[in-house]
Amino acid sequence: MLPGTLLSFTTVQHPPKGFPDRPRSIGLIELSDGKRVIGSLIAPEASAPAIGRAVVPRMRLSRINEQGLRLYEVAYECTARVSEPKLNEQRHFPGYILALTGPSGVGKTTISTLLVKGLGDFTAKVPIVTSRSPKEGDEREYDYVSTQEFQVLQKNGDLVAWTKIPSETEERFYGYRKSDIAAIWSQGKLPVVVTEMHLLQGLSNHFGRRAILSLGLLPPGHSKRAMLSQLLHRMRLRGRETQEQIQERLQNAQQDLDFFTRAEHLFDHILVNEDLDTVLGTIKEHVLALVKA
Amino acid sequence: MQSEISLISFGQTKFGEWWNKSLRDLLGEAVDAALASAPCTALDIDFIVVANMLGESMNGQAHLGALTSSLLPHRPPAIRVEAACASGSVAMHTACALLESGRAETILVVGAEKMTDASTEEITTGLMGAADSERDAPSGLTFPGIFGLIAQRYMHEFGLTRQQLNLVSALHHANAITNPFAQFRAAMTPDQIGASALVADPLRLLDCSPVSDGAAACLLSTKHRSDLTLAASQLSTDTVSIADRPTITSFAATKDAAMRACEEANIEPQQIAHLELHDCFSIAALIALEDLGFAEPGNGIRWYEQPGQMTVNGSGGLKACGHPVAATGIKQIIDIGKQLRASGNPYGMAHNFGGAGATCAVHILHHENA
Repeated sequence: MLPGTLLSFTTVQHPPKGFPDRPRSIGLIELSDGKRVIGSLIAPEASAPAIGRAVVPRMRLSRINEQGLRLYEVAYECTARVSEPKLNEQRHFPGYILALTGPSGVGKTTISTLLVKGLGDFTAKVPIVTSRSPKEGDEREYDYVSTQEFQVLQKNGDLVAWTKIPSETEERFYGYRKSDIAAIWSQGKLPVVVTEMHLLQGLSNHFGRRAILSLGLLPPGHSKRAMLSQLLHRMRLRGRETQEQIQERLQNAQQDLDFFTRAEHLFDHILVNEDLDTVLGTIKEHVLALVKA
Repeated sequence: MQSEISLISFGQTKFGEWWNKSLRDLLGEAVDAALASAPCTALDIDFIVVANMLGESMNGQAHLGALTSSLLPHRPPAIRVEAACASGSVAMHTACALLESGRAETILVVGAEKMTDASTEEITTGLMGAADSERDAPSGLTFPGIFGLIAQRYMHEFGLTRQQLNLVSALHHANAITNPFAQFRAAMTPDQIGASALVADPLRLLDCSPVSDGAAACLLSTKHRSDLTLAASQLSTDTVSIADRPTITSFAATKDAAMRACEEANIEPQQIAHLELHDCFSIAALIALEDLGFAEPGNGIRWYEQPGQMTVNGSGGLKACGHPVAATGIKQIIDIGKQLRASGNPYGMAHNFGGAGATCAVHILHHENA
């Protein structure tokens, strides 16, 4: 049972069947851990419900149902104290970027897609500018340009970070446009980049390390060998790459894993992607903590 | 759309309190009305999609697919869909998918609801089935309560006043006067709305759509042609409980469905001439105008203060035309069709959601005036 802040309230004149007390005062409450609940309100005369008011939980008898069962509920008592306004409209992220780094197959794309879905009003994905050709299985994460166009962007200083990923099959440049990130900031949202070590280093050089909430993602496994075998398994399962490409990516992944230990200073938190919900929950917490900071 | 789907005919019952008609009677009346103006016979119908939310709990009747099918001489295959107040538009969306796949060529889409036989308490409880039974219902919350929370928050964030909010239902009532199918065809002044009984603070009785009986039906076809075609049919969902969302003054599902619908129809929101939006409560109309891209956040009220080029809820909306839950989504499309034919404009949009925007469907209708 946690205390919280009243985000909104109403008084229902005609509650549903089985609720004898009427009218019922009900509130939408943000608890101190950031989760939200709907609960009935107890409003002493001195402190009528008001948005922003601090509330404390009280266990009480809610009603006795038709079968004679006594049903208890957690109701929230309004206190005289008004909390610091913790309102939606004040969520802005001037100058912050959320970076997700990890080897191929660790689940970066899945996580960032779900994150943007879950926190869509606060976050937006930064498109990756690439010179590689589109392929089946790409979601809308890339902005395709030719190698020449990429080099022009580079020369004009339109990119905040760029890298060339070694590949036998084609020349592949990747980067982020300065204007894409600025556009997301101007909407008051937090840009999310799905990235790898060189780009992370580049972003950090450009914006400064402290501007980036940098999360590293690792596959589960106690040894490097176990982690690599996890990645191999996941890549085969998703069927996005050919056998050749998987081999290539696995080699890069090996370097990526070394990078985590070599460049610890580039990460705020390292998360092991064993259970998707846990990882998402942790990231959300970090993002919301950023809002409150 | 992957194939050209025409709206070849439609019909509906008057919305209202029909104590002498059963759910089956309402379904039959709407189907007959749709067939009366059809360019084909009933035998051309090769599939039926029925929309209904409360058949089991209010009318003791499930199995509405077969029930509706038995109204036709050749009993075509039929299914029933349910998505709370969005059932009607989800039925439209389902029919589009069946037509696009080639499974069917001419589909009867019909939505019906019979709500006025139950007491206020019973119907309130039944409708709460559209909310989250674990997160929302245990507190004794009702749908007016959910939108009361939303309205309270909206007023706090954007400074909307009670006087401004009164304008919403006033316009919807004014629009319903000329709609012969509307439940309430009487003008209401903003003062009358502001003085009506409190239901869920700050919402009053005349902020709320009524409990209604009614049915609406239409025929969609890839075989028969008409001047009305579907330019887009998009469906989107969100968390059922408002407690699981980052904001309650904007509905992500509406935004998403609207954006994808405009993309599918390849038009900008400014090209829409007529809009039927889901005003289950007055506050929902303002949020819808903002999420659909017709106003900036907090600015939806300007459509009621200074009406623009686009018609908003020309039928009277849910408030004044009535809201027999699953019939609404189909009725909206019928009304957009009528408005486009009357005005000669090319595009109209129907916006229908269930719960507090947990399911949202947006349809865009195109009218060929040649």
